[in-house]
Amino acid sequence: MGPILAVEGLKAYYQMRYFGTLREVRAVDDITLEIQRDEIYGLAGESSSGKSTLIKTIARAIRPPLNVVDGAVRFDFAGQGPRDIYTLSAPELAATRWRHLSYIMQGSMNVLNPVRRIRHSFVDFAFRHMSLPMPAFLRRVEEHLGHLSLRPDVLESFPHELSGGMRQRVTIALATVCRPDFIIADEPTTALDVVVQKGVLEMIRRLQREMGSSVLFVTHDMAVHANLTDRLGIMYAGRLVEEAPTRALFRQPLHPYTAHLIRSLPRIGDDTPRHGLEGRPPNLASPPPGCRFHPRCPLAMEVCQQTTPVMQELAPGHRVACHAAAQGILP
Amino acid sequence: MWKILRDLLRYNWEFTAGVILLAGVTIVALLSFVSPYPPLDVYVVAPDLPPSMEHWLGTTSRGQDVFWQLSVAIRNTLAFGIVVALISRVIALAVGLFAGYAGGPVDRLLMSVNDTFIVVPIFPILVLFYFVMRDQMSWGLLALVAACLGWAYDARLIRSIALSLKTREFTAQSAFSGMNAGEIVTREHLPYVMPVVFTTTMNNMNWSIGLEVTLSVLGFTDVNTPTIGGMIYWANQHAALVSGIWWWIAAPVALVIAVFVALFLLAVSMNEYIDPRSRLARMGGG
Repeated sequence: MGPILAVEGLKAYYQMRYFGTLREVRAVDDITLEIQRDEIYGLAGESSSGKSTLIKTIARAIRPPLNVVDGAVRFDFAGQGPRDIYTLSAPELAATRWRHLSYIMQGSMNVLNPVRRIRHSFVDFAFRHMSLPMPAFLRRVEEHLGHLSLRPDVLESFPHELSGGMRQRVTIALATVCRPDFIIADEPTTALDVVVQKGVLEMIRRLQREMGSSVLFVTHDMAVHANLTDRLGIMYAGRLVEEAPTRALFRQPLHPYTAHLIRSLPRIGDDTPRHGLEGRPPNLASPPPGCRFHPRCPLAMEVCQQTTPVMQELAPGHRVACHAAAQGILP
Repeated sequence: MWKILRDLLRYNWEFTAGVILLAGVTIVALLSFVSPYPPLDVYVVAPDLPPSMEHWLGTTSRGQDVFWQLSVAIRNTLAFGIVVALISRVIALAVGLFAGYAGGPVDRLLMSVNDTFIVVPIFPILVLFYFVMRDQMSWGLLALVAACLGWAYDARLIRSIALSLKTREFTAQSAFSGMNAGEIVTREHLPYVMPVVFTTTMNNMNWSIGLEVTLSVLGFTDVNTPTIGGMIYWANQHAALVSGIWWWIAAPVALVIAVFVALFLLAVSMNEYIDPRSRLARMGGG
């Protein structure tokens, strides 16, 4: 079987019309990537680099003004063959979601309806996808909560009665109770302190191993990526700039931006001061020509200002879009 | 549910007072089913008798017992308030929730209708309606018309809540999990706006009862159906205050004021107590 997800040349722009002129924010610009079965794929990048837009587009959870301009998002769930999610009909899409493709939303503290008990959230979101009678469904939910070390009585609680970590585990339970083939997780641990974060990450890892599903895990926190993900993609200004197995990427980053991200991580025993990168990420409504990183890049050459670098595989499984790296210059 | 009611009675004097008042009024209304006199008949007792042991609230100049007349009147008036509140709540919820959730052209269309109903002067329309319908003007028809005129403010209120709910994560999650607009609105958003709806129900009943009394006192309704306003209308027709039959006016006025106060107190306490967090705060439970 091929990869579970193949994204090809995906372009998703926020398109707004002001007084007849079209303004485009190119939040996702020409992204190609594949995610294999049974792997955790990480997506990293600073704020406004287009991470959330990319996964919303992959999940087809987009609303105008965000539109897909070009490209395809092909999912291949068990034995169904690859299909572009944007060609599915509404009932097909509804049947796919939750059962095969589920989504742990950003700010998942607010994913639970504050005025309904947790049990109702499970019934509303997951019941229709499980084709089980209600008592069996509730038993299944309780069993699943047990996997996440939650007692069954959280089902009768309101969200405000639970601690942040418990709420987070409940939202993860909600997204995984149907044992989906593909889980998208958008910054699920960002609002948590490191102790709770560690527990939640271990839980995601364990669930993923048990269910054999694939996870697309998004966070700007490189330390989390180092701990959790199998492969890692780095986004900058709406483009994928580097992709490699996580260990290889941390051992030898090829893109200067990745190198800076990794160098910013604190290390025990190393007390040299960390230098931030000069400048700010570009305005995606009018990105710089050529390589979008060149105004901030310490290795920038003349060619970087004119030609957009393309993704090249420089080592097995290690792709990078950088003129300098292509010439063998390491950051 | 029972626990919430018990806590409300114990910790919230507004709620307790409102419940006691409303229970008293309801008992008076229910007594009408065991009334010894047919409510529409006149000259069944001696006219113009002051309150006594035999006739607790005296009798009218039309030969009716004030107490038993009052119990039928308050029953009809309460029923009017409840029917108007229910019908207009349904309209307000449907318009407000769907306009807020759908947004765009649907929202603009519904809100232009809504704003029309807000600016239209209601009282002259009802009077006009009475003059057009005259003989067909029944109690039920008046309730329907009042309901159709009384939903607009609350629909806007509900829409404003729905607008904010639409952008919350749990709405996105519901849509992602395959719920359609109707399910999202009724299962996820409706429970959220219920506290507001409870409060506006009380306010709406106050408004519609006041409207009914006003119209009836002026004779712009079917005055043969005994209502609070109808009683005051007949008392005025017989110049009750001038001829010293004060109990004929005082009894219905006092009872309808009791209803207003009861509904107001309930609205105030509901507002606070439907929300479990503020209830816990008042009980000192965090």
